[in-house]
Formats: sequence, C-alpha cells, structure tokens
Amino acid sequence: MESFKELMKDGRFKFAFIVICVLALMSILSFFSPYNPLKWNVVPRDLPPRWPHILGTTSQGQDLFWQSTFAIRNSLIIALIASSISRVIAVIVGLIAGYKGGKVDTILMSINDSFVVMPLLPILILIASVMRENLTMVTLGLILSLFGWAWDARVIRSQILSLREREFTYTAILSGTRTFSLVIKEYFPFIIPIIFSTVINNMIWAIGMEVTLAILGLTNIEVPTIGTMIHWAVNYQSMLLGYWWWILTPVVISILLFVALYLLSSSLSEYLDPRTRIQRIGKAGQ
Amino acid sequence: MKRSFSIFFVSLLVLVMGFAQAGFAQLAEDIPREKTFIADVLTGRVGTPANFNVFTTAWRNPDRGVQQLMLEPLWLVDYVTGEVINALAAEGPIYNEDFTQMTVKLREGCQWSDGVPITADDIVYGIELCMQDSGMSYNAPFNLYVDKVYKTDDYTVVFEFKEPNARFHANFIDRWGGWRPFPKHIFEEAEDPLSFDFNPPISSGPYVLKDFDQAGYWTLWERREDWDKTPTGILYGMPQPEYVLFYYYGDAANKVIAQANHNLDMTDLTMEAFRAILERNEYSRGYRKEYPWVVNVDPCMTGLTLNNDVSPFDLKDVRWALTLAIDIVDYIGIAFDGAAPMGVLHVPPTPVYQEWYYKPLEEWLKNLTLDIEIDGEPFKPYDPEAPFRLVEYVKERGYDVPKEPEAIREMFGPGWWKYAPDVAEQLLLRNGFTKDANGKWLLPDGTPWKIAITAHPSPSHPQHRNSLAAAQQWRNFGIDVTVNPSEAYAALAQTGDYVVNDNWPAIEPWGGHPDLYRVLSPFRTSYYRPIGEQAVGHSSRWYNEKLDKVIEEMEKVDWDSDKNLQLGMEGLKILVEEMPTIPTFGYPGVVAWDEYYWTNYPGAENPYTQPYHHWPNFKYMLPFLRPVER
Amino acid sequence: MLFFKRYLLPRIVQFLVVVFVGITIVFIVPRLTPVDPVQQVINRITAQGAFLDPAAVDSMRKSLTELYGLEGSMLQQYFAFWGRLFRGDFGPSLFQFPIPVTQLIMTSLPWTAGLLISTTLISWIVGNLLGGLAGYFKDRRWAKVLDNISMVIRPIPYYIFALLLLILFAYLFPIFPSAGGYSVGRRIGFNWAFISDVLKHSFLPATSLVVLGIAANFMTMKLIVSNIVAEDYVMYAKAGGLKESKIAFKYVLKNGLLPQITGLALSLGQIFGGALITEIVFSYPGIGTLVYGAINSGDYNLIMGVTSLSVIGIAGATLIIDLLYPLFDPRIRHR
Repeated sequence: MESFKELMKDGRFKFAFIVICVLALMSILSFFSPYNPLKWNVVPRDLPPRWPHILGTTSQGQDLFWQSTFAIRNSLIIALIASSISRVIAVIVGLIAGYKGGKVDTILMSINDSFVVMPLLPILILIASVMRENLTMVTLGLILSLFGWAWDARVIRSQILSLREREFTYTAILSGTRTFSLVIKEYFPFIIPIIFSTVINNMIWAIGMEVTLAILGLTNIEVPTIGTMIHWAVNYQSMLLGYWWWILTPVVISILLFVALYLLSSSLSEYLDPRTRIQRIGKAGQ
Repeated sequence: MKRSFSIFFVSLLVLVMGFAQAGFAQLAEDIPREKTFIADVLTGRVGTPANFNVFTTAWRNPDRGVQQLMLEPLWLVDYVTGEVINALAAEGPIYNEDFTQMTVKLREGCQWSDGVPITADDIVYGIELCMQDSGMSYNAPFNLYVDKVYKTDDYTVVFEFKEPNARFHANFIDRWGGWRPFPKHIFEEAEDPLSFDFNPPISSGPYVLKDFDQAGYWTLWERREDWDKTPTGILYGMPQPEYVLFYYYGDAANKVIAQANHNLDMTDLTMEAFRAILERNEYSRGYRKEYPWVVNVDPCMTGLTLNNDVSPFDLKDVRWALTLAIDIVDYIGIAFDGAAPMGVLHVPPTPVYQEWYYKPLEEWLKNLTLDIEIDGEPFKPYDPEAPFRLVEYVKERGYDVPKEPEAIREMFGPGWWKYAPDVAEQLLLRNGFTKDANGKWLLPDGTPWKIAITAHPSPSHPQHRNSLAAAQQWRNFGIDVTVNPSEAYAALAQTGDYVVNDNWPAIEPWGGHPDLYRVLSPFRTSYYRPIGEQAVGHSSRWYNEKLDKVIEEMEKVDWDSDKNLQLGMEGLKILVEEMPTIPTFGYPGVVAWDEYYWTNYPGAENPYTQPYHHWPNFKYMLPFLRPVER
Repeated sequence: MLFFKRYLLPRIVQFLVVVFVGITIVFIVPRLTPVDPVQQVINRITAQGAFLDPAAVDSMRKSLTELYGLEGSMLQQYFAFWGRLFRGDFGPSLFQFPIPVTQLIMTSLPWTAGLLISTTLISWIVGNLLGGLAGYFKDRRWAKVLDNISMVIRPIPYYIFALLLLILFAYLFPIFPSAGGYSVGRRIGFNWAFISDVLKHSFLPATSLVVLGIAANFMTMKLIVSNIVAEDYVMYAKAGGLKESKIAFKYVLKNGLLPQITGLALSLGQIFGGALITEIVFSYPGIGTLVYGAINSGDYNLIMGVTSLSVIGIAGATLIIDLLYPLFDPRIRHR
C-alpha cells in the first residue's frame, strides 16, 4: 500500500491507472449489456453520440458503447493470454540460453530461430483459415503466444550475454554467489525493464495481429473485438460516409489502452529499478 | 536549430507541392483522359499480367479486357433485351432432326487484328486442339460429345456428336465465359499451346492491347484501325473511346476515391460505398438514377443452400420451416438496405423472367398450400403483398419510391413467402423438435439446434450478406446460428462439408433465353454424390425422380420450343414444393457510373444492353457511349 | 581453423537446421487447409456463370489433378519439393498454371524490396537516432513532445493509419495518386520521368510505413538508452567532464544500438513476406498480395516459394548478424 501511494505521486502512473480502471470497468460492464452483441437492428441506425447512445450507433443498428464493452473484454483476453504466456517462455529461454551458453544455447537458439524465421503473417493467415470456427478468443491468444516469444527471447539472451561479461558477474561468481540468486539479484533488475517494455509491445502486437486478421475477415467477425469493430466500420464505409464516431471508437480505445499500458510500464520499471530508486530517495532527502 | 527546422519544412512543402503540381491523374501524358474510358477489373489484380492465353484451364482474369474487348465469341446472350446475339456466327446453331449434328455458319468479313480473315479453319483447328490437350479449356465437354468436327466451306463448320445433344451450342455462348475462337496462324507456331503466353495478343474484337502493368493492376487497350472488320463494328458501329483502361483499384473505398477523382468511369461497389460516392461526386449515378439504384436485371438468384444430406435438412418440413421463419422485409433490409428484388422461384425476378415464369405461375403460387392447417384452413404460404411491405420499410428509411404497383413489382420483386414463425413452429413440433425454457430450439434427440452457415469470404458480396441476414432471422426464431466466412467455401460445398451455405440456390439461367436446362439439370439423380465425394451437380445434394423426368424430356426438345417453356415451369414447381434450397432475392448489382467524361450508359431509363463492364457484352455498349465536352 | 570449427561451423549447422525445420513446417501447414487448388480453378471458371456440363466437371477435375502433380502422397510431394528446391525451382504456379513460381515472385519482388528496404532503413535510422537522443536528454522539452507524439501514433492500427493517409491525401485533398506503382502508359525505364512517377506513387505507402516505424523504433530505443544512461560508465564519463554530445553519441547511442541491430536484420529478412496491408490499402504491387492470393486459391507451390524464400531470408539475416555481432560488441569474444 505504501508503494502504491508512492507510485500515485507519479502523474504518469496516476493517468495510466485511471484509464486502465475505466477500461477494466467497461469490460466488466459487458456482462450487464442490455443488448445481445450478435443481434442487429436493436437500436436506430447511424446515430451520432447522444443520450442514451453515448458513443453513437452503427449502420447495423448496434450501440457502440455496449459493443465496445465486449470488444475491450475480448481484445484484452487475447492480448493478456498472448503476452503472458509468451513472456514466460521468452524469459525462461532467454535466461537459460544466455547464461548457460554452449550446447544448451545452440539447441535453444535453434528452436528459437525456427520460430523467428517463420514468415508470420502468411502462417497466421493459413492457420486462421484452417481453424475457422474453432478460432475462439482463447485459441487465438494461444496461437499468438506461440509465435510471439522468439524475438524477445533473443533480446533477453543478448542482454544476458552482455551482462555476463561484466565485472559484477565475475565478482559474484568469485565470491561464491549461487547461480539462481545471481540471476535473480543481479540480472533481473536489468531484465525487468525489457520484460515490461516487451509485454507492452507484445500486447500491442497481439491486438494489432487480431486487427489484421479481422480486417482480412479471418477471425469470427460476429464476435466484437477491437479488430472486428474496425472491420465492420471500414466495410460499411464509416470513414467515407462521415460516421466518425463508429471508426473512432475502436481506434481511440486501442490508443488509450496502449498509452495507459506504456505509461504504467515505464513508471513501474523506473520504480522497480534499484538505481533510479536510490536517486529518487536521494532527491526526496534533499 | 529552429532555422534548420524551418528550412526542412519548407523544402518538404516544396517537394509535396511539386508532386501536387504534377497532378493526380493516373494516366501518362500521351493518353488523353477524355478519349479514354476507365473501368474496374471485377476479379481483382491480374496474377499473370504478361499472359493473354485465356484458352487454357488456368485462371487469367478474362475481365481485364480480354473477354470484353479482345475476343468475339460465336454467340452472346443479352439478359436485358432477352436476345441471343450472333457475333462471329452468322446465325443460330442448326441441328439435324435427332440432335446428332450441329452446323455453325460464320459471319463473313471479320478479321484478326493482324489482317488475317477469321474462317472455319480457325474454329476447326481450335476445337481439335482443345480436344487433344487436357490443359485446354473445354477439353472435357468436347471429348465427351464431339465425334468429329470439319468444315464444309470457309464459313461453315459441322460438328458430329457421339450421342444426341440439343444444348451443345451452349458451350459457345459467351456468358461470362464460353469457348471463343483463337487465331490458328498464331497458335500453330507456338511450341506448347498450354504455356504459350499469346503476347502480344491478336484480337478478334474491336480493341488491341496497348500496354499493361507488370504488377497486374491495369491493362490498356487501343481501338483497332479496322474496327469495322469485327462483329462489334459490323453490328453496332464504331466504339467511341479511343482507349479503354481496365484498372483494379482495390477495395470499395479505393474505388470510391478513384471515381471521386474521375479516374474510374464504371465500377461496382457495395451499397454503403455507393452512398459515399453519391455524396461526394455529383456526376456519379447508379443503374437507376433514384433509389433503389441497383441493377435488377442481373441473371443470378441469390439465397441459401441447405445440405439435404445432413439431418434435419433432409426433412421437407424443416426446410419449409426455415423458409417461413424468414421475414423477407427485415432480411433484405439487413442485407441490402431494402434495395433488392425478392423472388420465390429458382430464377431471378428480372423483367424477362417475370414475364416468362413469375407471371404465368402467379395463380399457382397463390393457391399453393402446405400440408398443414391453420385455424382449420390449409395454409397458403405465398404473400403477393411482401414487396409492398418492403416499400413501407424503404419509406421509413427515408427513400422515395414510385406508387404504381407494376413499378414496385419490377423494382422489389413480385412477392415472397409469408413471415409465419407460428407455422414454422408447428412444422417443427410435428417432427419431434422441442423448445427449451429459453425459447431455443432442440433437435428431436434433445440436443440444442446449432446451424453454422459457411459464408462467402468477401463481406461485400451478396452471398455473404445473405448469410448475415439469415443468421439474424434464425436467431430471432430461436436457433443458435454462427456465420463462418471461408475462402474454401466453394470446395467445402463441393465435398458436402457444410450444413447451410450462401451459394446460389440453383445454377443461374442463361439470362437472355427462357430455357431452364442449366437451372434444372444439376439436380438430376445421376449427378448425386454423397458427402465426402466431389459434387458434380448442385451442391445441395438434393434429387427428385419427378424432376429427372422433366430434365430427360428437355433434352429431347429444341430449346426455343414452347414445350421447353412448359417443362421449365414443371421443374420450378417441383423446386418450390420441395424447397431443397431457399431463393431470396435477385442479385443486386450496385454499379456506379461517372458521367464526368462519358454518358449515355445503359441505365434503367434506356436499357439498350446489359449494364456491366465485366461482361463480354461490354464491347457492344461502347459504340453507344457519348463523350462529354470539357 | 579452430575459429572455424568452434565458432563458424556450429552457427552454419544451426542455420541449416533452422531453415530445414522452418521450410518443413511451411510445407505442412498449407496442406491442412480445406482449400483445394483444383476446385478453385474449376470454381473460377464456373463462378461467373460460364457453361460447363456437370458430367464434364468430373473428368476435368481428374485431368487437372494429374497436370498439377498433386496425385502422390504427401511424403512423395515433400521429397519432390526438396528435389526441386535444390535446383532453385519452385515448380509451376497451380492457380496460374503453368507460369513458374519464380517468375511470379520476380515480378513482384522489386516493388516490395524497393519499398521495404528504404522504409525499414529510414525508420530504423531516424527512429533510433531520435529515440537515443530523447532517451539521453529525457528532461528536455522536445524529447517529451516527441515521446508523447510517438506514444499516441504507435498504437494506431496500421490499417487505419494507412487508410487515413489515403483518404486525406488522395480523396479530400487529392495530391497523391490513390493506387498503383506508376502511371498508366508510362514507359518503364531509367529516366527521371519514370523515377519521379514511381516516387510519387510510393510516397503515401512509404510515409505510412515510415511514420509508424519511426514511432516504434523511437520508443524501444528511448527505453534502452534511458537504462544505459543510468549505468556506471556513463556516470563516470559525465563526472569526468566529457562533452555531452560525445557521451551521447560515442557511449550511449552506440551501445544502445546493439540490440537494435538484431531487430534491423530481422525486419530486413522479413521483406520477402511483403507488406500485405500496405499493398491492399494503396493497391501497391508486391509480394504480400501475391502470397495472400496464393493462400486463398490453395496455390501450394506459390505459397511454398514465397515462404521458403522468406525463411531463408530471415535465417540468413540472423546468421550474418550472429557472425558480425562481435565486431559491434567487443565484450563478446569468439569462443
């Protein structure tokens, strides 16, 4: 609680925290939606934002606010599954390969690189066209996590490689620190910012991939997500017909989501980073 | 720092302005825009831009101008005027008494674009080549039927058949495809006709290739000096545009942008994109100048195909229940904002088919009863008032429509089935279906009824729109419906790996001729293949002995005969009673025409020919277009 | 020799293994789709309503399957594929039979390569330079402004961003052409008229890629650099009174770029996959739509051609970086 108070002093964290709370609240609200998200013509069509349709309505006669509650929920599910699972894989593979080196490194990096060299979009399109109706939010998240870890594992590995060459590693080894605690104590502070920044990048990547697949019509386009909302808005020419509220809703949501996550991660990693922490305490003491 | 920034911005601005000055015209300087007609390529970017050999089975995007400008067929159908046009043929096909021989008379005075006359030698050579090589198109049908082909003089070709065939000439009717003659003197020289690229191509049509995009986005054609040596010139006079450019701009939004910049004269769009272009460009128009704008003369009937080999669609009651659970007004509203003509027969409700089939069958439809009683009376499902209900919806949406019943029937179709969920419910209940506490339907075995509709992948295609509309209707009725668009929808249909899809409910008719052999014959029993095998006939896997008799009769009569018309009606009645597939509305072609550079398009007020730029008949539209002085 | 055996050889073996595994996977996946190339061809022919006797369809299907070489078992086809690959041949395209796949790729590749190599390099250089400087001088006003701008631009879905550019500059203010690689009827040649035409047509696609690319590189680099700034050696350098610009460029930027080099290599390797969404939005020629069309028509040979090239391209780029890495980072010794 103490640390939360301290974090809230940071304007970036405050903003991010509020935005994420609002988005989380919206995704919870989806469970109380008065409309079935699959049904059309439940409200008048093409209305600009005004009460009671605070974000306006679509040409399919759906309420944008309630549609977006579902969209946020579903897109977050995909992004969270994809990024959390792929982070776990990336950290484990990157740490082991980077630290152990030798044969382990070679084998792990062969596996890793087989994933890296895969032309991602064609493969995803192929998989999506094979899966079709079985492509639920969860499976999409899992598939994305399968392809989303390799690059970051490499980044983590190269960070570890360069850390290994540093003096403190030698000092630590010479002074008899155990591998595990070495990794946790000495390496993690350097890796955590990478993890945070890659989580955000990975979530954005996952949401972006979902958008791409949805625009190509390869996901289940009847289920609202940020991607499918864009799909319908674009296919019904909301941009050319001037229904700005329709196309802006999913776009603004994805921007808000990203900005909040980004600010959150940068203020958190700064907070967690031991070096800047000392600086901060030093400043506070002045 | 600031200074270098401003220098940077100014130079960027100059650069942008420099580009802007060069203008945004898509044409190079030596191709004057006012002498060029620009049309869209319906089937998209050309995969093999340098290949003009459309005579093999490989796909070559023939609508990049090849079939519209470069080639003339023997015959064409025009589904608006209802006539069969003799192009390279001088007259219709001449069959002998027992349909074992067909004679084709060729038009004299036609030349290839290199000056060589088009004669019977080209035809005989072409047919024989196609019969030898399995990679050539029409290899299969020719080998199946043709015993031998020979010429009796330079302008007469005779086909002798292995077995009687009264519809063999259909292979030569260009109806967005058909066997078209190619120059013997060029193909003879080619090492392998299959891999021959036919570039530069030699035309039988009124235009020759001028240039093409290596990336496949556009193909530019130039009018032939000797255009009067082509059927187009002989029949209709000089095509007006000096150049015709076929350009694939991409998605509907890109086409709207191109037409707003007057870089696209003829295109087809979605309803939404069409509304966008109307708002933006005062010179744009549709087939009709007013709502509902769309082409209502298209020879395709859209609808839903049920897999009759999958339970419970093998039950006629279930098929009818699904039909009566559709509120056609809401359905067309969802699919096309009300702008499509409804129809209950397996042929489209275009003016000619309304005349040939809908009107003669109207009394029969009105008196048709289902084998079920409502309030002690046999239930009559037909609703001739449906188009007028659609008009009410359309008025609510703020559009103006004419008041005369005749005009309304022409625009919105002659009628549809009643919206009768109560009757549908009874039809299901008596077959053992039940409803659960939430009002959802359960199959006779007690499991929830789920329908997955396999849909056309393009969200702007009328097939896809049928799927979306059907999903809404059947969900309201209490069935759990999902829509699965798939690039493989056609393959899935062929192997029977679907329950409901949005394929045409029947193969479309000729368009310009009342013969329904094309519509009915795919349903014949001998074409039936069980699920897992590739379908040969219609993918619904439905067949019927009574219909077999009708088809067999048809094969023995001349396609122009009155008997043939009667047989067509018999066939349509069987399809209505059995409802193996559900026809919904005629294909609404949303075309957008820009009248900035060209005018006198074949719109609804002056339908002198069919209205599409991608049909081979396009060449017969060009002599009638008028340039606008600017 | 020892260097070869202990450093070079394992990496080359690893490269080959990666390529083998990658290509095997891209061989299997397309064949799992229900899309049947033969059916797609028949479908195209009949889709618009051309007449084909139902009885004739059957025999046509048989002869096409034979013609396309799709009869054998999957294993036989797999070996045939490797056999052809060693001869540098991907076989004929199935959907555009009998055009060789290599020919199709060669028509599209120059457009893709031209667009993507230049935009990738520009956005990498500009993004990293700005990001590095903004990370070093993170309290300056301009750094914060840049940070905020890229934070908002970065998450805009690329498709929407591209479409927005198109609508703005080809529709509302029609300054740039809305489609294509060059003007209709323009002679292709090495002259200013053609080059400026190509530049004009590629301006919007390139801008869309560069802007989002800069934003992404900017943010990653800024993060990396702000970590480096806190390092001891930078502190020492500052304390030692070295010039700020020297510290920024020589110590901070140079070190920050190391992890980014891998990223650059991978993005350059990915070029063979094309830029599908860019090509769709701007109707720009390239490999992306080529392979997308191939997937939709079940053209196995073409899919395999493009994806194999892509696999080899990315794997090759990683190999090169792996071999060159010690040059950039002297801390890693060959062992």
